Amino acid sequence: MSVPGPLSTDAQTLLDGAPCGLMCTLPDGTFLRVNRTFCTWVGLSEDELVHKQKFQDLLSMGGRIFHQTHWAPLLAMQGSISEVKLELRQRDGTTLPVVINAIVRHDGVKRHELAAYVARDRDKYERELIQSRKRMEELVAETRRLHDEVKDRALLAEQMIGIVSHDLRNPISTIQTAAAMLSRGVPAESRDRMVARIARAGQRADRLIGDLLDFTQARLGDGLRVRPEPILLHEVVAEAVEELALAHPGRPLRHVPSGRGECHADPSRLEQLVGNLVSNAMSYGSADSPVTVGSTIAADGFSITVHNFGPPIPAETLPTLFEPMTRGTHAIGSKRSVGLGLFIVCQVAKAHGGKTEVFSSAEAGTTFSVTFPLSPR
Amino acid sequence: MSLQRRNNVRVSGEGPATIFFAHGFGCDQNMWRLLAPAYAKRYRTVLFDMVGSGSSDLTAYDAAKYDSLQGYADDVVELVREFSEGPAVFVGHSVSAMIGMLANLKDASPFAAQVMIGPSPCYINDGDYVGGFSRQDIDSLLETLESNYLGWSSNMAPAIMGAPEQPDLSTELTNSFCRTDPEIAKQFARVTFLSDNRAQLPLLTTPTLIVQCNDDIIAPLAVGDYLKRRLPRSTLRVIDNVGHCPHLSSPGQCAQATDEFLAAEGL
Repeated sequence: MSVPGPLSTDAQTLLDGAPCGLMCTLPDGTFLRVNRTFCTWVGLSEDELVHKQKFQDLLSMGGRIFHQTHWAPLLAMQGSISEVKLELRQRDGTTLPVVINAIVRHDGVKRHELAAYVARDRDKYERELIQSRKRMEELVAETRRLHDEVKDRALLAEQMIGIVSHDLRNPISTIQTAAAMLSRGVPAESRDRMVARIARAGQRADRLIGDLLDFTQARLGDGLRVRPEPILLHEVVAEAVEELALAHPGRPLRHVPSGRGECHADPSRLEQLVGNLVSNAMSYGSADSPVTVGSTIAADGFSITVHNFGPPIPAETLPTLFEPMTRGTHAIGSKRSVGLGLFIVCQVAKAHGGKTEVFSSAEAGTTFSVTFPLSPR
Repeated sequence: MSLQRRNNVRVSGEGPATIFFAHGFGCDQNMWRLLAPAYAKRYRTVLFDMVGSGSSDLTAYDAAKYDSLQGYADDVVELVREFSEGPAVFVGHSVSAMIGMLANLKDASPFAAQVMIGPSPCYINDGDYVGGFSRQDIDSLLETLESNYLGWSSNMAPAIMGAPEQPDLSTELTNSFCRTDPEIAKQFARVTFLSDNRAQLPLLTTPTLIVQCNDDIIAPLAVGDYLKRRLPRSTLRVIDNVGHCPHLSSPGQCAQATDEFLAAEGL
């Protein structure tokens, strides 16, 4: 290893006292010579550095990786590098930001010559820049979030108007028509039928408004509110099925309970869930085959399934089936109510810590399955 | 877009096998200038830039795709399929050693051998495993990168001083070498240094050479030993070199280790 030769006293004084750190190293970073300014900065003597330490050993860890991945290849390829900003570790553990220029010199032996300048102000300025950029990015993200929220609310308003104008109009027009017929005077047996139609339309409108309120709550709040309590699952489902059978005269509806044990859930929400799934099955299933409601209690949870035969759900509809108002993609005049029903089923499941699935094929028909934990998480 | 343009692919030479040279984090294919030319006399060689580095097509950079090493590995699978003639040997430096392994695990059929120069399956210490770094160290690197790219303005490598004995480099070369978009560099750094591919090591059944430097903070000796233990068909060669780029600082030793390995594999 050859050390650079001695310098004249003047030159030595100039280099030692220079207002920058000066170093000469081997290509592997081992110090061959350092000036006093540099020694003072890092708090180590010339003896402690020369032949004992490598330049990169004095860098922060990030700087050492950077030295290996950028500095060394650049210096090897270009023969020089300038304005690289690194942090020197000082003896007392603090760091000193420096900007470094380096060149490769061949005088028989390849050496690196480095000049370092303290860059505290630049460092501070850069940190401020980085801070402002972060702040700006946060503001942009916040603006984007607000924008999305506004869009979401506009969409919600649109959806609600759609529900009110389209779906609520059906039962109301039923009521109006029946009322008009009644006012014209009809035979007694028809009158009873008219009154029953008015009552059913009223119920439908009422349920729709309930759904609408739930929908708003689920969209704007933290999801649906439920009040779970110990329930007898099969009884709750049986009761719901009984009422639904009355509402759909002439359509076969079966209830198949299985398993036993205690379940926790909000009974009125389960009733709502069964109601939505069954009215869905009635609208879409083939009219001559039965709709089957299953309630099953197992060791790790309970489930409610609703099955109907009939044409399967188109594959392209499946991904958005549980989103509100997916009906937009269906033909106008489709019998399906609002597209809120399945959304609410899904929300009821979620509020209980459960999940909703659907299986649909031409052979097996369509099964909606909602599984719940035995008690909500 | 052609793969050639996307990855700035340069093909040279002819021979019984095709050697792919893949650069690591930091620079580009010019890292191989002291090693690759000798192989182009005996083999078909393929040099390329990872998307986001060097003269690759930056419009092909997809932050979601390149958010894991698999994104880069998928590119390598495509490159090897398109540019291989005969068996493929994949020479990967640093993080590209693992990218090559992931490509091999996706489709092993073209690969006859893997050469890993300064590889590490995981840079961060984890229990008994010594990777060499802590999470804070990696954050410190990201900070250093950030502060240097501020100094360099966007898309510029550090300037050249005009050294007295400047190596003979074309302007084109010096301008593109290590040029990086700051955002891409940050993401590549994060993806590289936070990667953990230890679980995949036992799955690599292709013969593998590990070229380990005796003094390398990025891939310490313990990492080479670990790789030797976990890679089923591996040979470990420790060479005398300080730093993480032995193909630049000790090309002779790299070539010797590689030649002996290729000869032993009949390539």
